Amino acid sequence: MSARERRIGAETPRFVWVGALLALLFLMLPLVGLLKRVAWSGVLGSVTSGPASEALRLSLVTSIFATVIALVFGLPLAWVLARVEFVGRSILRALVMLPMVLPPVVGGVALLSAYGRSNGLVGGLLYDMFGVQLTFSPAGVVIAEAFVALPFLVMSVESGLRSIDPRFEESAATMGVGPVRRFWTVTLRLLLPSLVAGVAVAWARALGEFGATITFAGNIEGRTQTTPLAVYLLLENDPEAAYALSFVLLAVCVVVLVAMRDRWLGRRS
Amino acid sequence: MVLVSITQSSANVHAQSEKSTLKGDLTISAAASLTDSFTALVRQFRKDNKGIKIHLNSGSSSTLVAQIQSGAPSDILASADLLNIEKLVASGNVVVAPKVFARNTMAIAVKPGNPKSVRSVADLASLPFIALCGKTVPCGVYAASVLTRAGVSLSESKVTRGIDVKAALSAVANGDADAAIVYKTDVLAAQSAVVGIDIPAAQNVKAMYGIAPIRGSKNVSTAKAFIDFVLSEQGWQILKSFGFQRP
Repeated sequence: MSARERRIGAETPRFVWVGALLALLFLMLPLVGLLKRVAWSGVLGSVTSGPASEALRLSLVTSIFATVIALVFGLPLAWVLARVEFVGRSILRALVMLPMVLPPVVGGVALLSAYGRSNGLVGGLLYDMFGVQLTFSPAGVVIAEAFVALPFLVMSVESGLRSIDPRFEESAATMGVGPVRRFWTVTLRLLLPSLVAGVAVAWARALGEFGATITFAGNIEGRTQTTPLAVYLLLENDPEAAYALSFVLLAVCVVVLVAMRDRWLGRRS
Repeated sequence: MVLVSITQSSANVHAQSEKSTLKGDLTISAAASLTDSFTALVRQFRKDNKGIKIHLNSGSSSTLVAQIQSGAPSDILASADLLNIEKLVASGNVVVAPKVFARNTMAIAVKPGNPKSVRSVADLASLPFIALCGKTVPCGVYAASVLTRAGVSLSESKVTRGIDVKAALSAVANGDADAAIVYKTDVLAAQSAVVGIDIPAAQNVKAMYGIAPIRGSKNVSTAKAFIDFVLSEQGWQILKSFGFQRP
């Protein structure tokens, strides 16, 4: 294996190395700049103070809820897309992926037109019948985050399902294992790496959500002001706190990536 | 709109009588509340000076100042307050002393038909959700003075803060905010999307708009010419048609 890797490395032309290096530099330079701007002695104080800590707490809670929603509804959707043959499946898949490429602000406007109390397709109904107002509420933040995060989970899980060797499930079926038990004991276990990856990416995406959140759920301190919103607003009047919060988000993402990498490597070897 | 077309026809005469020598690119950073009026001013200015390309960069005045201070290339700043433009003077980013070119007041914007029957600033206290600008953005600062003068205190848990005045207004026009405190000119610009409620002078503020050329501009003479145009009678007529008052 290592010999093969070396052979591939020898075949790599020089301009590819230059391009790769430039790409790496392009990606890393802003992060280095961010780290340089963080006032290290004040990070803890900035992050544990009023609005910043409120924002972190809110972000944590809403992003976890959004990820759970993405998981509970995304898994069945990914299954259908991966395993059920039907007319228009590729169109359906494209529609599901749409929120990934849609500008998040447009996503927020779309959410308003569906769940807004005054102009929404079903928002007025929700309010009149159940007294539920999603806009300007933490539930609205969860909706906005789940809307952008769900496709990431579906994409990861769908490709995971496709890569599972069907013989495992077939042999379980021939041994008389029913479809429900087969799912829990065979499919889910084989799917676990891509499921974990999907959950992690969906969670990171939910945690970083900005455009759909501010458009749909507003920007209310302690209620709908998540960490990215706080970073944006603090940048003008308290840049130190903004950089401290940015660092926390960056650190969380790095931890997620490192944890996932270990998991993947552990699975593969 | 009628006023604008009248000034446009007089401008054509003006353009013919005076040969333009100005050219180059101009980037104007203008407060969000100036978006519509400055678009009209730029259109007129370009009619008179065909060789000029103008880019309008709009945002909250505090954002624009932060952009300029961190080196974003800009030739002119038009700010919705004097405090932010003073910040640029203090940091040495302004070439010539800023000039005050217009005045604005605050108004309450509510949904068409005024479903919550808002009549005064005091009525805001009983509404579920109010949209304001960020605390350090001029329209947010002005709204805070209006509330203080009216003796109204709003719980932060019902205040959603837009990144600029257009965002705050949009929370009422397109979203579920019940009211916003925005500039009177924005209420006029939104036309039928919102209904405006005047705030009495005793509770209101005089929002002074300042304009200044920025140090490091590659086009100082063109920048100054545009500022002169904004300050001219012709420029004033355009500003007036958007609801601005004499400073």
